[in-house]
Amino acid sequence: TLRLIYTTTAVQRKNVGASGPEKYTEAFIKKQIEEFNLGKRHLANMMGEDPETFTQEDIDRAIAYLFPSGLFDKQARPMMKHPTEIFPEQRKIQWGEDGRPFHFLFYTGKQSYYSLMHETYEKMLNVLKYQEQLTAQDLLPQNEKRNLAGSRWLTKIELEEMLLEKLSDDDYSRFVQLLQKLITLPCSDIEENYIKKFSKEVPVQSQKVVVEPLKYDERGVAFSTGEGTRKTARATAVVYDNGTGKITVNEIDVLHYFPVLQDREQLLFPFQFLDRVGKHDMICTVSGGGRSAQAGAIRLASAKALRSFVTEKEVEFMRQAGLLTVDPRVKERKKPGQEGARRKFTWKKR
Amino acid sequence: VAVPHVSLQPPSPLVLCRLTQVRWSRYNPSFLEPEVNKELYRKPWEELSGEEKEKLEVKALQPIKAAPPSVSSSVFSDPMISKFTNMMMKDGNKVLARSLMAQTLEAIKRKQLEKYHKAPEDEKETIECNPYVIFHQALKNCQPIIGLSNITRGGKTYQVPVPLKDNRKRFLAMKWLITECRENKNRRMLMPEKLSQELLQAFNNEGPIIKKKHVLHKLAEANRAYAHFRWW
Repeated sequence: TLRLIYTTTAVQRKNVGASGPEKYTEAFIKKQIEEFNLGKRHLANMMGEDPETFTQEDIDRAIAYLFPSGLFDKQARPMMKHPTEIFPEQRKIQWGEDGRPFHFLFYTGKQSYYSLMHETYEKMLNVLKYQEQLTAQDLLPQNEKRNLAGSRWLTKIELEEMLLEKLSDDDYSRFVQLLQKLITLPCSDIEENYIKKFSKEVPVQSQKVVVEPLKYDERGVAFSTGEGTRKTARATAVVYDNGTGKITVNEIDVLHYFPVLQDREQLLFPFQFLDRVGKHDMICTVSGGGRSAQAGAIRLASAKALRSFVTEKEVEFMRQAGLLTVDPRVKERKKPGQEGARRKFTWKKR
Repeated sequence: VAVPHVSLQPPSPLVLCRLTQVRWSRYNPSFLEPEVNKELYRKPWEELSGEEKEKLEVKALQPIKAAPPSVSSSVFSDPMISKFTNMMMKDGNKVLARSLMAQTLEAIKRKQLEKYHKAPEDEKETIECNPYVIFHQALKNCQPIIGLSNITRGGKTYQVPVPLKDNRKRFLAMKWLITECRENKNRRMLMPEKLSQELLQAFNNEGPIIKKKHVLHKLAEANRAYAHFRWW
């Protein structure tokens, strides 16, 4: 198993479909569906609503009203859903009455995976043949750029759910390599429908952060504020224009507050990146965290403040340099049975 | 629970597919590494080739990780020096490691300047005074080309000569340098002094670390007969 700390619920769902032959017969599932529909109509009558137009949302609301539960886990509360959502899709029995398997690749053990690879390779050979035909007639089309940025391949778990079979990481990477190879061929447009089955749209990062306009204080000097965090440190920075490069932290000069060179380098990083080292003054307040965390927090705050002084392109450059991302790394918790987060107790043979 | 480490896919020119799961990272696997070097951002739009423009377009839509605290865009931050400082660090005392590194570079500069002022006019140009250049050249000279790996066949373990990757070469050179300086020095000699001595010797292709590298090469040459045991 692979474990990710940053996960979504989709990643954590177990693939029950591939775990073995059917635990639920078709007749059982049919009965469950009939019971569900009947129950839906009864529930609609109970709630005084029209049974014909009773949607799933109405069911959820009705159940939450009739069976209130204080449990934390949403999956543990009483729920009434269509049987296809509760009983996951499973593979049917792969062989007939005489014991002879239906699929010709059954004895490989991973029939769906190998048949998929077989199909994809067939498509690739088709494309190559088509390409050869076109080269014979000198009609090769130019490389049209496909929008690779907006799409991603299916994850391993999604592919497993599609094939109803367990895959190994190696298998998955081989399949993705084959798809990538297919896409790089110039005439792969013929098989676009096939490729579309395995790619998903990535919602484009439309988190367009609004850059705040510059504010002006009593002296007429332009300034801008920013906030930053790192581990447990919280910082706010006010960056003034027409300055001499003086930096004040919690009303103490930066040389006294950060005696270590590395921290001062981090404070100057955004200014140095934009070539504005001696042009701005900065006054910041910071609390929490340690020495390095406070420096990182101020760095983020000043980078955010500098966005108002600078063109859009430079903001994009700052983002690509990693100056505008909040560092999500925090101290890992200690686990029971171990001495620290990773360190185990001394292993004693007896 | 044993967690198998999934190897990264080979980089393909068109599709950015770093979506194989990384072990235990707090970042989503789709986050890319930050590029800190200012020069790459200076190039005007027209000068970029078609491929680079494509890469930029794709990168504009992907999220990027935060830059680590040891890295900065100033001329003074060097990735090799940072790596070496981290390897020298003990118990997380980065302040001490950095100050030792600074003192080493200062010591190298002082020694070279002494030599420079004592040398006759015609030799003055050949003496290298930039400590960073000396450091890089010394590390390069210390890197072994070929290494040995243990392969067990039929119960016996053989030392098989194996080509090394770039990362491994750099790591070995730095590791040898540090262990050499920690162990073979007088009680009273400080680390910066000993390090600067070793670096200058390595720069001139002499000294114990270069000898160690040659010994390793000779061993690999001696075990040439087993080279066919390697299957990768």
